[in-house]
Amino acid sequence: MIWRQAVREPIRYGFAVGRVRVLESRMLSSGTYERLLDAADFTEQKRVLSDSVYGRFLEDAETTDDVERALDAALDDLYAFLESANLPKPVLRFFRVRYDYPNLAGRLKAELLGVPAEELYVDLGSVPVDVITGPPAQLPPFLRGLYRTLSAEGAGVTEEEITAATDRALYADLSASAEASKSPFLAGLAALMADLANVKALLRARMKGLRQPDVARLLIEGGSVPTDDLLALYPQPFDGVTEGLARLPLFAGVSAEQLADTAGLDVLADDLVVRYLRRARRIATGPEPVIGYVMARQAEVIMLRTLLIGRLSGVPSDVLRRRLRQRYEE
Amino acid sequence: MNEAFWGLSGVSWAVMGAALAAIGGGIGSAIGITTISNTASGIVTEDSEKFGRVLPLAAMPGTQGIYGLITAILVMVFFNILGASAEPAIAGETGFKIFLACLPVAALCLVSAIYQGMTAVGAAGMVARRSEDSGKALIFPALVETYAVFALITSILMLSSLASIYPAG
Repeated sequence: MIWRQAVREPIRYGFAVGRVRVLESRMLSSGTYERLLDAADFTEQKRVLSDSVYGRFLEDAETTDDVERALDAALDDLYAFLESANLPKPVLRFFRVRYDYPNLAGRLKAELLGVPAEELYVDLGSVPVDVITGPPAQLPPFLRGLYRTLSAEGAGVTEEEITAATDRALYADLSASAEASKSPFLAGLAALMADLANVKALLRARMKGLRQPDVARLLIEGGSVPTDDLLALYPQPFDGVTEGLARLPLFAGVSAEQLADTAGLDVLADDLVVRYLRRARRIATGPEPVIGYVMARQAEVIMLRTLLIGRLSGVPSDVLRRRLRQRYEE
Repeated sequence: MNEAFWGLSGVSWAVMGAALAAIGGGIGSAIGITTISNTASGIVTEDSEKFGRVLPLAAMPGTQGIYGLITAILVMVFFNILGASAEPAIAGETGFKIFLACLPVAALCLVSAIYQGMTAVGAAGMVARRSEDSGKALIFPALVETYAVFALITSILMLSSLASIYPAG
């Protein structure tokens, strides 16, 4: 144990942790978010961000598509840093693979249901988008099996079923990557993400009034809360479900009313992930500070996307403010 | 006078003690400095102006190696091993006592340097976030140093007592 703590991890991660400690201090402050909210237009927002890490990516952006591309480029740059940080392969996979399954879902929806998929693809995964959209035989084995299974169902499959199947495979992959990384922090993060996905699915299904067997198909394994426990709450009225969920240790400090606000559920889920990530800041060395930083930067990109595209689309500041998440640095 | 103790002569025990002190302190310092230097290099890569502020942190675990060296030199000087043309007359039991006197430095410097390196990593994180905290950041690893200094004092006191009780011939 002492050998791992004192020698192996500092040597393996020390350099990356040192860089992360400086980079964390360059993350956007709450003051910057206020200035972005108060900015009269997108040009002023760009000026606010000109000295940040996003400045060079947003320099020529004018439209919402440009902003999407610029922020994806900023994320790609972040993942390039991650790859240079000498982290174990399963940790790198944990971050990249999260784009592969939604990309595959996009292809399947396009092929089976005729949904326009061009805007669904994000080229940040471990598999390039042109491979995902190319011949099925060239798909990597972890995607090929899923593609064949869902393709075999033909046009009878629904959009929700494709999303549910790819999500299930994604969370199983995240759990396996977290386990292979031997990082309890990453394993906890994978479990939390699975829990939050389940809770969101459960509450949205309850709002729609889906049948319990259909809900069971939406839930994924790998969370800290067994899916049977979640399903046991389902027959109750909506308020009963939120009260039952609020009693879970997972939602310590969260009220049933907050859970009942399904419009704010994504923000609440992201805040809970940030709350978990802040533990990484108390760890001096190891993979945790690097993982925490990368996740925090991802959350920062989500907030920036909300603020920049929101301003370009003319969304009022008070609506944008409600969509903001907690900051890692607070 | 040169009778063996547990199969080893007095000089062998004394040299083994001196060697252990130097090895323990040296290994601890090497690990401690590697630990903090990796993090310090990462910090300086992103912000070269912090070099001067993280350098004292990186150097701090090196002191245990010096304490090991001091202990080894004291053993050789006190008991006339340094530069001797013939094996000094040290009884086996006395040699064993010299060996025991070296153990505080050998063990504590090994462990404290490693832990000091770990503490310095946390302190370097403070410096990375706020340069103005570099003074405060030095204090925490310095607290770990206290115990290496205590070990050195203990070993020196024991060695000097042994040197006055059993002067080497």
